[in-house]
Amino acid sequence: MKVLGKGKKRMALVLVVGLLAGLLAACGTKETKENGAVNTTSQNNSNTDDQNKEADNSDESNTPAEGEEGNNTSENDTDTEGSVDLVEGSFTIGIGQFAEHGSLDNCREGFLEGLRQEGFVEGKNLTVLYDNAQADGGMASQINDNYIAQTVNLICAIATPMAQSAYSVARKQNIPVIYTAVTDPVLAELAGEDRVPVGEVTGTSDKLPVEKQLEMIRQVLPDAKKIGILYCTSEVNSESAIAEYKEAAEKYGFEIVTGSVSTVADVPLATDQLLPQVDCLNNLTDNTVVSALKVILDKADAAGKPVFGSEIEQVKNGCLATVGLDYIDLGIQTGKMAAAVLKGEKKASEISFEIIEEAAFYGNTAVADKLNITLPEELTKTAAEMFSEIAE
Amino acid sequence: MMTIVLGVLEEGLVYAIMALGVYITYKILDFPDLSVDGTFPLGAAVTVRLMLAGFHPVFCMLAAVAAGMLAGMVTGLIHVKFKVRDLLSGIIVMTALYSLNLRIAGRANVPIFSQETIFENSLWERIIPAGLAPYLTAMILLVLVLLVKVLLDVYLKTKSGYLLRAVGDNEVLVTSLAKDKGAVKILGLALANGFAALSGSVYCQMNGFFEISTGTGTIVIGLANVIIGINLFRRLTFVKATMAVVIGSIVYKACVSLAIALGMGASDLKLITAVLFLIILVVSSLGKTGRPGKTGMTGKSGANGEKRRGGKAGKEGAPHA
Repeated sequence: MKVLGKGKKRMALVLVVGLLAGLLAACGTKETKENGAVNTTSQNNSNTDDQNKEADNSDESNTPAEGEEGNNTSENDTDTEGSVDLVEGSFTIGIGQFAEHGSLDNCREGFLEGLRQEGFVEGKNLTVLYDNAQADGGMASQINDNYIAQTVNLICAIATPMAQSAYSVARKQNIPVIYTAVTDPVLAELAGEDRVPVGEVTGTSDKLPVEKQLEMIRQVLPDAKKIGILYCTSEVNSESAIAEYKEAAEKYGFEIVTGSVSTVADVPLATDQLLPQVDCLNNLTDNTVVSALKVILDKADAAGKPVFGSEIEQVKNGCLATVGLDYIDLGIQTGKMAAAVLKGEKKASEISFEIIEEAAFYGNTAVADKLNITLPEELTKTAAEMFSEIAE
Repeated sequence: MMTIVLGVLEEGLVYAIMALGVYITYKILDFPDLSVDGTFPLGAAVTVRLMLAGFHPVFCMLAAVAAGMLAGMVTGLIHVKFKVRDLLSGIIVMTALYSLNLRIAGRANVPIFSQETIFENSLWERIIPAGLAPYLTAMILLVLVLLVKVLLDVYLKTKSGYLLRAVGDNEVLVTSLAKDKGAVKILGLALANGFAALSGSVYCQMNGFFEISTGTGTIVIGLANVIIGINLFRRLTFVKATMAVVIGSIVYKACVSLAIALGMGASDLKLITAVLFLIILVVSSLGKTGRPGKTGMTGKSGANGEKRRGGKAGKEGAPHA
């Protein structure tokens, strides 16, 4: 009898702990709900019921638009520093980021800035839930499930797998998804060939300006023949970028030599192998390779060969130069798209995804001096930013 | 609230199929099989490849199971024929599968949003009323998981199923019955990885894309599901071990979802999983050591003995290796 009693006790204990956890969760969600309710004085949208929510969604997309339109047109050119006219209402968005990574962090920062410029300020009329999947695909879908459960007004998904996962979950609930840092939305089946979204999902692409980059490399290194590119085989964006590089290389008289890795740990060996075969290295936005940028730079330095970057952060960290993207700008552009959707001016499905057209030149003079290379004046003249030291 | 319950249910049920496989290897065979980290995405890779080639989703799933079983057999063969340690043979196959999966799928990320899947096809659109649509995924999964669970239950009752359990409990016995224990192990591994691949196939159809990174950590989820399930229900003899695994899988996903809702990042979640593991294992091992010591030594009352035997009979469904 005693034995059974003990077993029962233990069982009970486990159950009680489970119940407590459940209660805690309920309280947690309630709290956020209440917060929402407090903020939503003008717009009673803190419904928990799904069906109500759906009705509410369409409601939202109409009402603010009517009330706000006049307001918006007048505040077209609000400066970034000055006060912004807050959009009436209270909004909750979820930002799901696929990995921890300088460029992606910049995307997020820019995204919030873009929303701010359009009158959505975090802590005032905007509640932001942020989660990072740490490059775990399974985690990505749970994060998005949670956003749906919290009935967010919009999901911002950073990087391709996050965007796909968000769309896969959100399309059932008709919650709009705005993505950024998706290199090829068409390949990811988030948009059709004509850039029109497949559903309530749109955003910005961080497609590399391949031709401009090659042209720049040709200007800096008139005699170079072979460009080495390292990439990770599990990153789909890199493969499509390489295909594009190979296609465009001939036009500028280059040959592309690739080295592939599957983890960060492979990078040193692959760099050693690739360096002797090439005149310079060129980085993509490959997360795995960029994570090991320091190693690559050290080895290239030792060999006296320049490394070109693909975005501003890499040049700051010791790449010679790039014609690339500023991810903050990309984020701002994305934030503005999200604002249009939140205000109800447009539905996500009506906005084609956008690509940053004007890529700018970034150079690092400290690196140039070290390698005894002079960056042509025609490039430095038009540079968006020149760095004179290497960030540690 | 309903959406989060549905979300947890869907995620939990998908991984439950894989967990049933892990149950075979970890609990029945006592074989720590890491190859599921490779066979889960293998199932997904085979599915997207065939689906894009125009095959029916159900066929894709069957093909995924076949591929998974094949991979499981390879793990078994490496272990049995080449006498490589169990852990290592799993690691070898898992590592090889990473490359193979990329080759099979063609890319690291393959979307199938526009394809017909078992969750989204013209048939459902015609016969399922709009009101039921949000629950459709969970219902399909429930049916699928129960089907798989019942099949496994039935199999474990067959002669071959008993041999499988015997290998985990007492290898010598199997040899004395003039049966090849190696062949039984290989069969068990094939089954387990077939389950894992099926799970991966269903998972990618549910999410609408294949992504190579989804495989990482599958074994941890599987073990968590099995350990939580078995230990939660070990005193409730009417709950079959397979059922316990399915429920454990849902409980685990509920815990993860809870942690996310409470604002914990993915970076902390692994630690939380580990602590959860530890608590459950410690609680259950306290139960094990406390009990037989007392009753066994004193052996006072017949009632106690009876209760223990009752407990053991119940445990047959969940043999502790």
